[in-house]
Formats: sequence, C-alpha cells, structure tokens
Amino acid sequence: MSPIQVAVIGAGPAGMAAALAAADAGADDVLLIERDDEAGGILNQCVHDGFGNLIFGESLTGPEYAHRFMEEIKRRSRIRLLTGTMVLNLHSDGSLKAVNRSGAFSLKPGAVVLAMGCRERSRFQAVIPGYRPAGIYTAGAAQRLINIEGLMPGEKAVILGSGDIGLIMARRLILEGAQVCGVFEILPRPGGLTRNVVQCLHDFNIPLHLSHTVTFIHGKKRLTGVSVAPVDEQGQPLLERERFIPCDTLILSVGLIPENELSRAAGVIIDEATRGPRVDQDMATSVPGIFAGGNVVQVYDLVDHVSRAAAIAGRSAALYAAGYRRVGGRLLLQRGENVSAMVPQQLSLPLAAGERINLYLRTATEMRGAAVELRHGEKVLYRKKMRIVRPPEMIHLELEASLFAGLGGGDALTCRVAAEEVKQK
Amino acid sequence: MSKDLVTLLRELFAENGLDKYELEIFEEQGQIRLSGTVDRWEQVVLAGHLAGGLRDVRGVVNEIAAAEGGPPPYEAPPGDPTVIGKADVVIIGAGVVGAAIARELSRFKLDIVVLEKESDVACGASKANNGMVHSGLVQEPGSLRSTLNVRGNELFEGVCRELDVPFHRCNLAVVVFNEEELFLLELLKARGEMSGIPVELIGPEKLASLEPALNTAIKGAVLAPTTAMTCPYKLTIAYAENAIANGARFYLNTEVTALEQQNGSIYKVVTNRGSFLTRYCINAAGVYAGRIAEMAGPPEFTIHPRKGELIIFDRESAAGHAVMATGILEMIRDPHTKGGGTMITVDGNPEWGPSAFEVSDPEDTSVTREGLERIIAKFGPLMPGFDARSAIITYFAGVRAATYTEDFHIAPSRHLKGLIHVAGIQSPGLAAAPAIAELVLQILAGEGLALEEKAEFNPRRRENPPFSSLSLQEQNRLIREDPRYGHVVCRCEHVTEREIVDALHRPLPALTLDAVKRRTRAGMGRCQGSFCLPRVAPIIARELGLPLEKLTKSGPGSELFSRRTKESPHRKEAFLS
Repeated sequence: MSPIQVAVIGAGPAGMAAALAAADAGADDVLLIERDDEAGGILNQCVHDGFGNLIFGESLTGPEYAHRFMEEIKRRSRIRLLTGTMVLNLHSDGSLKAVNRSGAFSLKPGAVVLAMGCRERSRFQAVIPGYRPAGIYTAGAAQRLINIEGLMPGEKAVILGSGDIGLIMARRLILEGAQVCGVFEILPRPGGLTRNVVQCLHDFNIPLHLSHTVTFIHGKKRLTGVSVAPVDEQGQPLLERERFIPCDTLILSVGLIPENELSRAAGVIIDEATRGPRVDQDMATSVPGIFAGGNVVQVYDLVDHVSRAAAIAGRSAALYAAGYRRVGGRLLLQRGENVSAMVPQQLSLPLAAGERINLYLRTATEMRGAAVELRHGEKVLYRKKMRIVRPPEMIHLELEASLFAGLGGGDALTCRVAAEEVKQK
Repeated sequence: MSKDLVTLLRELFAENGLDKYELEIFEEQGQIRLSGTVDRWEQVVLAGHLAGGLRDVRGVVNEIAAAEGGPPPYEAPPGDPTVIGKADVVIIGAGVVGAAIARELSRFKLDIVVLEKESDVACGASKANNGMVHSGLVQEPGSLRSTLNVRGNELFEGVCRELDVPFHRCNLAVVVFNEEELFLLELLKARGEMSGIPVELIGPEKLASLEPALNTAIKGAVLAPTTAMTCPYKLTIAYAENAIANGARFYLNTEVTALEQQNGSIYKVVTNRGSFLTRYCINAAGVYAGRIAEMAGPPEFTIHPRKGELIIFDRESAAGHAVMATGILEMIRDPHTKGGGTMITVDGNPEWGPSAFEVSDPEDTSVTREGLERIIAKFGPLMPGFDARSAIITYFAGVRAATYTEDFHIAPSRHLKGLIHVAGIQSPGLAAAPAIAELVLQILAGEGLALEEKAEFNPRRRENPPFSSLSLQEQNRLIREDPRYGHVVCRCEHVTEREIVDALHRPLPALTLDAVKRRTRAGMGRCQGSFCLPRVAPIIARELGLPLEKLTKSGPGSELFSRRTKESPHRKEAFLS
C-alpha cells in the first residue's frame, strides 16, 4: 500500500465529510475505512426525512443524504473507500491495525480522523431492574431490524426515552402495523427535537408520559410487560403509583454515548462532559496527528452539524499530514453556568485573520430569555441573546477570530448561559 | 433424643413467632419433616432454617405452605412413554455438575445419556454465578461442602488444562475495617487451617502492595491464595463437549416427567420427548432436584431457591480488582449478601456480588433495584475510587439450589435403587464440581455399576483461541483459509463471522442467540448486543436453516422477532418464485 496521508475511521455522515474535506484540502491519498459492507453508517437505516436542510437546502432521507456524499467521494480518485473493514487497534503514533475479508493489516498514515460515531445506552446502563427476556431493543437496533433486515421486533411496544430515535421508532412501528402503548420519559421535558414530538407522536396519537420511567421488566422468555411509574423531581420512581403495562417489546432511547474505545487505546484524552475527545477548533485531539469529527466527539442533534464538524477534522488532518502546525499555545474554553457540554474545549493559537470558530454548546436547563456569554475574567468578549434555550437543541455559534485578539496561550475563557434581564416598562 | 429435637424446634418456633400457626413436626433419625400453613414465604424459609440449623439434624423436608408469595404453579409437560433409547446411566440436568459427572463417566465403557430441559447446557445457576473457584476458607469444616470444595479446588486447574477452559488463580482477601475486629480474622484463619487450605493473615501494607486501590482504612485481611476464577458456562460446555467426544449423548429441550421402577429399582426415565431405559439415574436437576426426587417416592429433602444478583462492569474500569475482596463483618451482618466480593472475571471485567435473597420461584432470575443497591452499598467501601454506577455494563441473577441444612445432599435415593441424588448444590458447587463427580463415581460403584475403563478415552478438548488474540500473521493465515475470519460481526468483543459459524457447528451445537453469546462473547460487550444482534441473528438462522422468525434468545417462547415486515425481501422472493 502506498503511504496513506489521511485515514478516516468510519464512513458515516462524519467520515464521508471528513474524507471529502481532506481530499479537497490537498491530501493525495485518503483512506476511508468502514466496518459495514457499504458506506453511510446509521444513515442507511434512517428512512425518514429531515436530513440535509442546512447543507443541501432540502429535506432528504438518510440514504439520500449518504448518496449525495458518496457521489462526491466517487468523483475524487484521491479517496479510497475500504468497506467491510474493522479497525481493531489504534496507537498513539497514529498507526492502526485493521482486518477485512482479504486480510489483517497495519498502516501508519500521516494523520487519522476518528469518525466512529456513537452507540446507544443499553437497558443495563439505564439500570432498569427486572428479567432479561427477548423483546428488549435499543431504538437503533429496532430501526435496523425493521428498515434493513425486514424484521419486526414485536407487535406491542412501550418506548422508554423520548430521544429522537425513540420518537421516530414510535411512528415507524405504527406504520408497520404494530401497537405503541406510549412513550415514557424520565425528564419533565421531551428528549428529542420538537418537530419529532409533533410529527411522530402527536400526529399518530401516541401518548407521551413525561416524568415517568420503566421500573421493572417482566417475562422470563419473551417480554410480557413492563411496570412504569412517575418519578419525583430527583428522578426517583414513586413506586406506590407503579402500574403494569402488558406488551411484548420494550424500545429504549435512553441516550447515546460517543464510541471512543479506539481513541482511548491511542491515549486520546476524553472530556467528561461530552464523553468524546477534547478537541480544539481544528478538531485536533490531545494526541498529535489524531483528529475527531462527528458524534465521536459529542452527540449532535442534526446530521448536518455532524458532517460540518467532521469536515473541519478532515481538512485539519490533511493540513497536518502536509506539515502544518499551530505553534502559539492554547486558549482554554471552560464551561460556566448552565453549560452542560461544549466543543471545542480549547483554541490553538495563532488564529488566522478572518478565521471563524464554530462553538457548539448545550445548556443544562431550559430557559426563556437567555444570553450566551463568552468571558475572559469579568470582561464579556461575546454575548448573544436567545429567545429560548432547550437542552435537546444544541446552540451553534460562529465566532470571529478578532474576538480573541490580545489573548495568549494559557488564558482561560468561560462560556455561560445566563437569564436575560427582563426590562421593566 | 428424638423427642428433644422436636421440643427444641417447637421452642425455636415460639421464639420466632411461628407458634401461632398449626405446624406439624415429624422427626425420624435426624430427618425432620415440617408441614402446615403460614402467612408468608419468608416464614416457610425461616421454619426450614430453624430446623436445618439444629445440631444432629441431617435433613429437612419442608412442606409448609405459604398463604401468600408461594412458588408459582407448575404444570409438567405431558410425558411420552415411547422408548427412544437406553443407557447405562441417565443424568438429569446439564449444569456444571451433570456435565462433570457425564464427562467422568465417559472414561468407562458405559452408555451415558444427559437430559436437559433447557435449550443449552449451563442454563441455571451454572451460567449465573460469579465464576469463583472457592478455596474452601468459609465453609464449615467437616461438612460435605467443605470437603468437596477443598478437593474440587485441588482438581480444578488440571481439569481446566485438559478441557482448555480459562483458570486464573487470584488472592481472596477477607478484610476488616476496625482494629477490634482483627480477632475475627484470626478465627477465620484458624478455620481455613482446620480445612487444610493455605491461608495467610496480612496487614494493610501487604494488602496495599497487592492492590493499591483497596480502601486504605482496611486494617487487615486473611488471604486465601488458592482461590481462582474460571468461566462457569465455558467449563460446563467444555465438560459436555468432552463427554460427547467420548460417547455421551446430550438431549436438549428434554424435560423429565416421570421415573418408573421395576422391583424397587429404576427402570425408565420418561421425558416430554420419549423415554429412556436405564438402571442408574443421577438427579442433578439443580433447583428442580426436589421435583425429580418426588418422582421416586416421598420427599427426602427440600430445595429452597436463593437468588444471587451480580453486576458486571466495563473492562475499562478494571483497575482496582487485582485482589478479590470482601468484608468479614458484612459477611456476618447482612444475610442478603453474605457471600461474594469484588473480583475480575476471566474475560477481564470487574464483577461485584452476588447478593442473596430467598425466593419461592425457582426461576426468579430478576434483578431488583434493592439487590443492585445492596451490592453497591456493600462492596463500594472496599474500593472508594470506583464509580460503580457509571461502569455497569450488565447484571443478572442466578438461583442457588439450597437445602435447609445448607449442605450438599449427595446420596442414593432411599426409595428407588439406582437413583442417586446430587442435590443442594449451592455455592461452592462450581469449585466442588470435579470432586462431586469423583464422589458420584464412587457411589455408583458402590451401587453395583461396573466401571471398566476404556482405552480410547480422550481427556483433552480444545477450543480455537479468539481470533482477536492472534498475531497478524496467524490472522492472515486464517483469513486466507476462510475470509469469514476477516468479517468482524461483534464490534465490542471483536468476534468474527467464522467464530460464530464454528459455535453453531460444534459437537454440542449452539441453538439460540444466548448460546452463541456464551460461546463467542458476541453481544457480551459494552453495547450488550444492540449493534451485533441484527447481524448475528441472520448468521444463526442461515447456519441452522431456521426462518428468522423462529430464532430464539434462549429457547422456545423467547422468539426474537414477531414477523417479517410487509416490505421484506423475503416476501418479494416468495412473490416472484
């Protein structure tokens, strides 16, 4: 194999965008490695629409969105797509070991982009007591079964968690002729986007039970039902109000976790808030030459953002492989009040004139009338008013490099979301 | 003497508030039989334990019923009297004990049949225990549990070597947190010495050098260095496969419904799938050993199920588990978690537990909120830096088959010649299994079974090492041989398609998703199968020639999918053909 300049691990919406950006930034040989037998990742099983509004200006299905990227990839001979290939290990020098049906091999590319995406929290990570029968599926597994394998996970389902995939699966099950008893959400607010609550639940008369959880899983062989109960403000179930719902299927949409086993193996530092690599504005991780993009960094709510952020990683990897480095120290970005997660966690200096910094953050609580602030000590560098901020909806800011003029390596900035003072008339 | 036992027990019943119920107590030669009705299941268990705890009581049959919370009704499947085979020995139950006995018997010129009601071996307590090969430290010296534990531990490493099963020695440390409790360690050490096992009393410095992550407030510990870990279901599978290689026959999904006799000797074992003629039968039915025994006559013992819950943690959090640890005071104080500890499985995952809860339903393998909380509360203080809750990847429960004397009951039936009970095999049943098999062979010989060694017996059984553990060169050699070695299906545990296919075609075939999981680890990683299930299922269905809708998680009734979707490619094919 000729020397690979950039290896991208994962050919989902992140990896495809990263590979394109790497090639377009001048990398001669980009290897796009995908464990499934085709590129596209989770997009392939997302037959609903809503993808691509930001990038393509129209609402596409998952496979259509993937197809658009694949068409571009096919036009670039610099990108080689290697499907059916699993990366088994990654080292801190960027060398990796992979295996496919033709053999096992090692390679040491000039730079690596991590684009492994995320995985779903299981029933066990959500610590739901009870038996372990057949009929418990994560929403993503159920989606794959129905949309790709053509198999029904069951006929009468309870859905725990109102994350976007849970909401979409509620509708999907109804469309396939199954019953959905209801969606139960432990928080007092839905976990998914408002549009999905409306289009997937309200439009299909599926009840949404907020501040509720599943307290016990019944059934020794196949699921026979679940117990559900309301929860108090601390999220503890009120067992005296527990009730039994007969059903044969429990679908879980209880959170996504960035998939960072390879990152950890390479010694990449993981941020405790995002559970993904700590990155700078180039999506460079703590290990030189290893970049990360997409849901492996943090779980985005729109695929367009996944691809955009990963494109930055791809471009940066190409520049790194070509010898480009930022050598001016780092600005630290710290989470302040009401910020539950933020990417990037640092800025590498120097900043280029006219460079725009993409800052993504999530608030800890829902607020009406809020302002996002970036401060250096008491000095407010940036302030943006928001009519409403909600934890499920990520805030995306594009900041001008000029904001950071005068700051040097080691300086720390704090980002916070504060209530906007209401002016009395 | 006999009057004394009954009087004593009446007094104990009165002290424990059981005298308000009309309970009958019969005693004969140290065998107690209890009957009557109480309000709750806990009282049934209490009465049994009060009887079983008396000195000079050798066995307890507890027929007390509970008005509430008793075992669920059981309906046996219809038996099929058609004779479909005969054997020199029929073993009922393919847990680790039944499989070990089958394998030891397969050394001889004998026809051996093993009957298992579930869809795989090791479906009861043998798959759902902590994998600990106990040293014998905590067993009552002189009990059968103690003797067979110590002997089993001696035999264990050799068995694992012959059968290619993982076996890792690791220190068990029983610790105390207070100076005033150090004397308890002295007592425990003395107990270990009485049982003839190596024990060592150590101070906090030595313990910290063995495992620095343990709580620095620990004041001392007794170490039992012969303690070890194995994989309990892999051992059972290995015993079964080796028995099969040496001529034994295993019948899965086959439930015994009756035992028939001729002139006081066993003659026929009837199952839902046909009957077997035999002169010797081993009752190794675990939590159902009592039900089997009653097919031969009046009950000789009563099994009371005791559930144990276990938590498995992510391998990435393995630091801190170099020593198995448990607190001696907790062992004494909390009857619901008297055993167990913090340990690391042979697959590298930290594991805490088990708990101990008396349950009436022998199939109550549910994990409760209370059980999880108790495990974390009990073992958390041993390792203050371990964030247990966020490292959980799975939890499960097994049910121990305990008698009320809390000892193994391994003896010929008093009612039916040729029937041998191997019952009450609770902890340390795994550690004792090789020794139990040895003892059962002696009993069979004593009962007249001719044990004539066969020259062709092969004690060795081999398993391919996991593909992911091989060198690049070896991996490439295998992929050239079969490209399916290069197709990784389970991303967490790096299991390949070929390894799954192999598991489906071994001498004891895997028939269910869980059986494949136990053999390959596909689905045992941190995602718990949400990624690989849709990929593994079609492979199993293809290899077994099953329609996917018939594929089960753990046998009939646990079907994974309800039907094809309306747009399925399958239907199109059917339409076109």
